[in-house]
Amino acid sequence: MTRWGMVIDLDKCFACQSCTLACRMENNTPVAGPDQAARGRTILWNEVLPSIDGSYPRPTVTLIPRPCQHCDSPACVRVCPVGATYKNEEGLVLVNYSRCIGCRMCTVACPYQVRYFNWYPPEWPEALRAHLNPDPEVAPRPRGVVEKCTFCVQRLRKAREGAAAAGRAFQATDYIPACVQTCTGHARYFGDLDDPDSLVSQLARSPRAFRLQEEMGTQPKVYYLKQG
Amino acid sequence: MVKLSRRAFLRTAGTAATSLAALAAAGGMHALLEGSQNVGPGPDDAVAAAAPAQESWVKTTCALCPSGCGLNVRVVDGRAVKVEGNPLHPVNQGACCLKGQAALEALYSPERIRRPLLQTGARGGGDWQEISWDDALQRVAGILARLRAAGQPQSVVFLHGQTRGQMRDLIQRFMTAYGSPNAIALESPDEQAARLAMFVTQGINGFPVYDLANARYVLAFGGNLLESSRHVMAYLGAAALMRRGRPDRGRLVAVHPRLSLTGIKADEWVPIRPGTYAALALGMANVIIDDGLYDKDFVRDFTFGFEDFSDDGGRAHMGFKSLVLDRFGPDQVATITGVPAADIARLAGEFATNRPAVAVLPLEPHGLDDGHELYTAMAIHSLNALVGAIDSSGGVLVQRYPRLAPWPAMAADATARAGLAQPRADGAGSSDENLGAGAAGRLADRIRSGQPYPVQALFLQGVDPVHDGSAGPDCAEALLKVPFVVSFASTLDESAAHADLILPASSFLETWGDDYLEGTGFAGLSLHQPVLESPVGDTRDVGDVLLQLAALLGGPVAAAHPWHTYGDLVQERLAGADVDAAALARNGIWSELSYPHAAPGSPAWRDVVGRDRLNAPSDGRFDFFARELFAALETPEDAGCLPGFELPVAASDATAEAYPLLLISQGLMTEPAGWAGIIPSLQECYGLQSNTRWDSWVEISPTAAAAAGLASGDLVWVESTAGRVQARARLYPGLWPDAVFMPGWQGRFTNVRWGRGAPPNLQVGANANALRAGDGITRVRVYRA
Repeated sequence: MTRWGMVIDLDKCFACQSCTLACRMENNTPVAGPDQAARGRTILWNEVLPSIDGSYPRPTVTLIPRPCQHCDSPACVRVCPVGATYKNEEGLVLVNYSRCIGCRMCTVACPYQVRYFNWYPPEWPEALRAHLNPDPEVAPRPRGVVEKCTFCVQRLRKAREGAAAAGRAFQATDYIPACVQTCTGHARYFGDLDDPDSLVSQLARSPRAFRLQEEMGTQPKVYYLKQG
Repeated sequence: MVKLSRRAFLRTAGTAATSLAALAAAGGMHALLEGSQNVGPGPDDAVAAAAPAQESWVKTTCALCPSGCGLNVRVVDGRAVKVEGNPLHPVNQGACCLKGQAALEALYSPERIRRPLLQTGARGGGDWQEISWDDALQRVAGILARLRAAGQPQSVVFLHGQTRGQMRDLIQRFMTAYGSPNAIALESPDEQAARLAMFVTQGINGFPVYDLANARYVLAFGGNLLESSRHVMAYLGAAALMRRGRPDRGRLVAVHPRLSLTGIKADEWVPIRPGTYAALALGMANVIIDDGLYDKDFVRDFTFGFEDFSDDGGRAHMGFKSLVLDRFGPDQVATITGVPAADIARLAGEFATNRPAVAVLPLEPHGLDDGHELYTAMAIHSLNALVGAIDSSGGVLVQRYPRLAPWPAMAADATARAGLAQPRADGAGSSDENLGAGAAGRLADRIRSGQPYPVQALFLQGVDPVHDGSAGPDCAEALLKVPFVVSFASTLDESAAHADLILPASSFLETWGDDYLEGTGFAGLSLHQPVLESPVGDTRDVGDVLLQLAALLGGPVAAAHPWHTYGDLVQERLAGADVDAAALARNGIWSELSYPHAAPGSPAWRDVVGRDRLNAPSDGRFDFFARELFAALETPEDAGCLPGFELPVAASDATAEAYPLLLISQGLMTEPAGWAGIIPSLQECYGLQSNTRWDSWVEISPTAAAAAGLASGDLVWVESTAGRVQARARLYPGLWPDAVFMPGWQGRFTNVRWGRGAPPNLQVGANANALRAGDGITRVRVYRA
């Protein structure tokens, strides 16, 4: 079985936030605007999180790009009272928007804070609706549901259809999320963690590899490679 | 060559009409959007079969910053819905930065001006009337014809910003045929200094190209290499390659008073007192020379002015070695720069012994910002000659260009000849364009004073000098002094607000054009083509408008422009001997992807050292002592021909007590140089370290904040002798203790309601450029609002 995972090499990540906006444009997260942004309601599934410590002249600044970690043991799924959040058989943690009741238990439970609540129906200035991605999986979500990174699940579906149309078997390398494709430092890798020969499997076994908050027992499928 | 027809491109560039049975029709999604309460399908829901969408991918080239990346745009049912990087393009190699990702928000921006606008009331008053293109062009042509008939063609100024491919040549050609010497590129003093430093030392009139991918040691002075530099995407790819793409790991060092993302991600950040880069470079040269670590063979055989020398008249001159050994000892430089002497010595040693090493100049506005940018740039570039990094792998390269079809001959009439003989409106020496650069920042002053002659008509293209102060302070007043101002703005920027007429330009995603592969060194071309069947509004390409104006003017101006459209012009130029048009059409880029390194002293060496010299001998020697300056200066002194350092006025002047802090500038990754309107998604991730969205901020060091009694989040005034602006304070330890930083892009006005609860009119953040009092560094004080 395929188990989708990602590796982010912090040595090649320059914190440019291109992943952040590639994700927005691919997945139709709405424009929050200055007022809602000031209330902390900006929806960006794939943010870069800064942490600033220490003092001049040697401050320590770490910048962690943070998609959904697609945990193998996801806290969000355990707390969802209606089964709207689930992990599928390929390890993707997804939300069934039509089941979600907006209780936001998952947004609290997630140790990575990757889950975003729609406080109101998604809005764009009218003219900007022209560029929305027409893929049905990313149709703008209604008010009152929680949304998050899906590893661009619409791309997985399209890659499978593309392989079928070409009359060949689907391969794991046919599919990458938007953030991986756009990465300016080519720092992101994506693939099948269950295939021991895949690039992501090999990198996940690197001595530089670590995962965020492993002590939580969530078993993330996003691995980071230490800088330097 | 292959006919570059638009349809052929769309066919070759994209997969024609892919049938995606499972893809819901766009109409279906829009129905969902109209009533957002509808429940969208969850990822696990069965996807309804719907009518097949027409989907294609169109290759084009980005223009939101000077990088010029290849793009691949997904178009579904006539709408551009996603931008990716073109994997075949050598600049970005498939990657796409956040500005490119957000380019569709510029394309479809509700701020865009969709028809020509005439300001009917007082300029700046905001009473605009839509008029037809015919009416607009007749008005412009009428005024141009009248000025020309009156023998004043020189009184027309065309002020432009970044231009791509053939566009700069077309502007120049139009103005030349018309009879004005005033096609003026509004280049920052920092960019001009880099170009000029290349010219006076190396004899090349162009920006240096840095081969970071092959360098073992990269020392970046000023600017913001991995966020806002001219070739940021090429550098990001190269920096990744330096680290993980080859067996020997390179080292990246960033020198700046502020810790940018470049500094954070570099192997080392060297904090430095604002405005003292030249001293550090010369201090490093001192150590390298004193310890004998320089490339002695290269310096002896291929440089000029290293040792003291006597000229033909027997006059003794100081050489570079004496200059740095006498005046720039590490202890002395440590006092000037605040960089400890031990660090200066270590950096010098690392630079000289980890070759190939390269010292990188910032090719961007405010990159050096010390008021003496030319001599600073010469000092930094001289480090490259010391280690022989001229045209070598991992060193400084010279951008190569393809041979294109020649421009048709053009005959200037007597009126044009008389106009062209006039001095330039900005005071640049028009007969000597290499050394004449650097004057654009005085243009506003000169227009206000009516010197050397009154400007009667002004075109603004791709510039917003009222906002950024790039033509000098009080630019709005200067614009109001000009009787007729035409803007090609896409959105109502602050300069366009003071125009008589706006001829709204199509965006780069709607037009034909070309671009060179600048920053890679490779000769080659990148293609611009429209991604949509027709522009979003009734806008026109600036090139097309110039050709239409030329036709309306008739006579020699029309004769010099025999093309119906700018696309025709580009097509004719690209029919040159070198270009593989079929590959260009198929891949969106054409290049041999190879760089012809010249060995020192070889016949090819003259292409990289001395090629463009005017008054200095093209003897294949890199000038530590700039013979070009010696010949050009009226009273040449040795100090005026050698790299040098002067303490910026602002660091020591009489206002120091009242204004104790130094305002520094640095470009950010989230700032689109090529768009003056609001791009909402860039605003939503605008300030990464300060976590600021849709706003400005004032970065202040914890020590300065403590002295002023300020805490993070306080609303403060930042005040200089030129004015004051308000923003929230952010305490940041990555800052020279006496410096404050504000982002320079913000402070723009918008008349769009951006999101729920937002006001219909808004100034997004504060305009820090309003604080600039003159060249170099500005002194400010910060206090609670």
